[in-house]
Amino acid sequence: MSTDTTAAARAPSVLSILIRNPLAGVFAALVVIFAASALISPYFLTAYNMSVIARGLAFVGLVTIAQSSLMILGELDLSLGTIGGLCGVVSGMLMVQAGLPWGVAVILALGLGMLLGFVNGFLVTALGLHSLVLTIGTAGIYGGAILVLTKGVAITGIPQGIQFLGRGDVLGIPVPFLIMLVVLAVALFLTLKTPMGRYMYAIGNNAAAARMLGIRVDRIRLLVFTFAGMLSALAGLLMVARLGTAQPSIGQTWVLAPIAAAVIGGVATTGGVGSPLGAIFGAGIIAIIENIIVLFGVSPYWQGVVSGAIVVLAISFDALSRRYLRRDGA
Amino acid sequence: MAYLEARGLGRDFPGVTALDEIDLSIELGRTHILAGENGAGKSTLVKILTGSDRATRGSIAIDGHDPLEQPDLFRNIAYVPQELSLFADVSVAENLFMPFDRTGHGGIVNRRRMEAEAQNYLDRFGIDAKPSDLVRHISVPDQQLLQIARASTNQDMKVLILDEPTSALTAREVQRVFKIIRGFLDRDHAIVFISHKMEEVFEIGDDYTVLRNGKKVDAGRVAEIDEPALIRAMSGREVAIDEHFRSNRPVTDRIMTVENLSGHMFDNISFDLKRGEILGFAGLVGAGRSELMQTIFGFRKATAGRVQVEEQDWRLNDTAASVAGGMLYLSEERKHHGIFPLLSLRENIGLSVLSLTSGAAGIDFGKERGLVRRVIEDYDIKAAGPGQRISNLSGGNQQKAIIGRAMATTPRILIFDEPTKGIDIRTKAEIYRIMKELAEDGVGIILISSEMTELRRCASRILTMHGGRITGDFDAASSDTETLVGAIFATGSGADAAPRNDAEAHHVH
Repeated sequence: MSTDTTAAARAPSVLSILIRNPLAGVFAALVVIFAASALISPYFLTAYNMSVIARGLAFVGLVTIAQSSLMILGELDLSLGTIGGLCGVVSGMLMVQAGLPWGVAVILALGLGMLLGFVNGFLVTALGLHSLVLTIGTAGIYGGAILVLTKGVAITGIPQGIQFLGRGDVLGIPVPFLIMLVVLAVALFLTLKTPMGRYMYAIGNNAAAARMLGIRVDRIRLLVFTFAGMLSALAGLLMVARLGTAQPSIGQTWVLAPIAAAVIGGVATTGGVGSPLGAIFGAGIIAIIENIIVLFGVSPYWQGVVSGAIVVLAISFDALSRRYLRRDGA
Repeated sequence: MAYLEARGLGRDFPGVTALDEIDLSIELGRTHILAGENGAGKSTLVKILTGSDRATRGSIAIDGHDPLEQPDLFRNIAYVPQELSLFADVSVAENLFMPFDRTGHGGIVNRRRMEAEAQNYLDRFGIDAKPSDLVRHISVPDQQLLQIARASTNQDMKVLILDEPTSALTAREVQRVFKIIRGFLDRDHAIVFISHKMEEVFEIGDDYTVLRNGKKVDAGRVAEIDEPALIRAMSGREVAIDEHFRSNRPVTDRIMTVENLSGHMFDNISFDLKRGEILGFAGLVGAGRSELMQTIFGFRKATAGRVQVEEQDWRLNDTAASVAGGMLYLSEERKHHGIFPLLSLRENIGLSVLSLTSGAAGIDFGKERGLVRRVIEDYDIKAAGPGQRISNLSGGNQQKAIIGRAMATTPRILIFDEPTKGIDIRTKAEIYRIMKELAEDGVGIILISSEMTELRRCASRILTMHGGRITGDFDAASSDTETLVGAIFATGSGADAAPRNDAEAHHVH
């Protein structure tokens, strides 16, 4: 055992590169799953199917960027889905019932998302609450507010102008997907290239040591919670634009999938490691597998089983590779 | 015949040989000192001896048999790590018998019987606690002894490996631990004692083995070697242990004034820090020194009083303002307050120079690499490369990275809290030299230390604390150790005065 692992380390094999760089590993998995899907289904690579996957990935992808940023800090926000839903519904009411121009409604809804995220962050930092437990509570409040506002009925008559943001294409690429890519680029710049990003990783690693270095830990937590609320609101808005109606069910699937995607992509729930890019790769893997299930006409009831199994497989692989690394002494 | 024997052990990691050609023999009834600087390979060796890592080459024998063929033999080797590894919110008795596979009660834990059995161990190890006490509420030396007691609940245990068991203890507590270790040692047991501290080596050791850079450089009977020879073996060069590191700059104006400051664990503290001096703080563990400094730094809340720096009021309760204003605190808790374990050495050091390396286009990675490389070179940090995870470095190298990181900024006031805890002699001297140079550059330096030698070698003035109050202010050059120790134990100055005897006073030198 030890002789061939050290040999592998001296002349890095493909396997050891994959295992050493978690991002390379999840990217390789994405490529393999993509290629396998293209091989087993003739419909997979069609332009229409690709745009379906990209459009679907856009919404959950935005929430994934938000959640993975919080996870790097060592926090979780289970209310991101209902923030998205609530902001979507409120934007619908502003546009349809209040008759505001859609541009104004978008700004107000994004502002509401920031406010709701800020409230979560404020309660976490000011009272020292555990974010996971707190946001189970606030998810209930925000989700309840959706039902109070809509009485469970979708708001129809969303203006045509905004629908381009959800349904449109630019050069054949769905607009929401492009928006998600822009947000991803900004998030990557922030996390990898700015002091703010370094502070996020530092806090996720060791919050006490971060304070000792003079990092304003609470301020950064608040900022990221606020930013995460805004991105969830953006996802909700784009979903409203896509559907042409503000459905009270928007956001219901954005709670666990982004966490699963982030974990697959190498972001630890304990904080301090990973990147939003890995999380988006993880979301891509889930999206492709869900797509294949549909293409094969498998009952959608099986989707939960399959995506759950992927998470279990991914984290098992991660744990095994880490054990391999430890034995290597790296 | 030796009970535990290693022949030609070697351990390779990618790109590094951590151990090479190690021979070791541990005899029952004796205390074997394992000495060596940080990164000498002591931890790797201990991991192999306890079965948690495997050698690349060579063999070990326990009681004449190969433990790789009979893994049960590893149960005869017990290891007590340097860091406390107890469950703080669980009772003393439960900690002792965790995971309850040695108590012989079948699958059910019988609290009464367990606590009765625990009492035997507490008596034997002289631990001042009730079996039902939570570990959180017992003293640090008692916790240290509890760890040793826990290892000895293993009936098969023959060899007990203690990894720097005294690093968190004061001289008086060390004596207590030593007494118990000596009582524990009999013809059926052996102790392997890992230590940097010379006085301990000569006090408790029978045999010794010195490692340097992964190789065995010397071994023999402690009675046949003297201190300079042992230090030479460990460091590979002559180190003047009596050298002084006091600042030669004339002490001038006040840089910081603390007035009537109160907070958790200390009360109504006033003192001045002058430019160019190293101000020592002596006291027992729990005297309130760390709490005081963390409050001045803003990490803890002050309840009353004020601090002025260069005649300006200092903002309390705000570490970010302190760092921005040029005050840094280097904690003794490297693991909890110092390193970011999952980040690389580069990122760990880079964190404090972000203001220099980042602009409108974000962090300039090239510039960062350059600055970090300089810190690594200046502070002689040994690592496979700047990309290596900091948690994979040895304790001494982590400490050098933390100090180097702090120096990369331009501090006005630096507070060192036990900066040489768990650090080898050569690195210690380097740290002293850094403190001296900084003081001579006009930085105000506070040094908290439990080692009287260290304070007397570095500090120009020593304040003693006891029970959260300052009990004395001494000129380091003109006061003797006896007086200082008296002030630390607050003898003759109140009802809580602790008795002091000559043996202890003698030990603190």
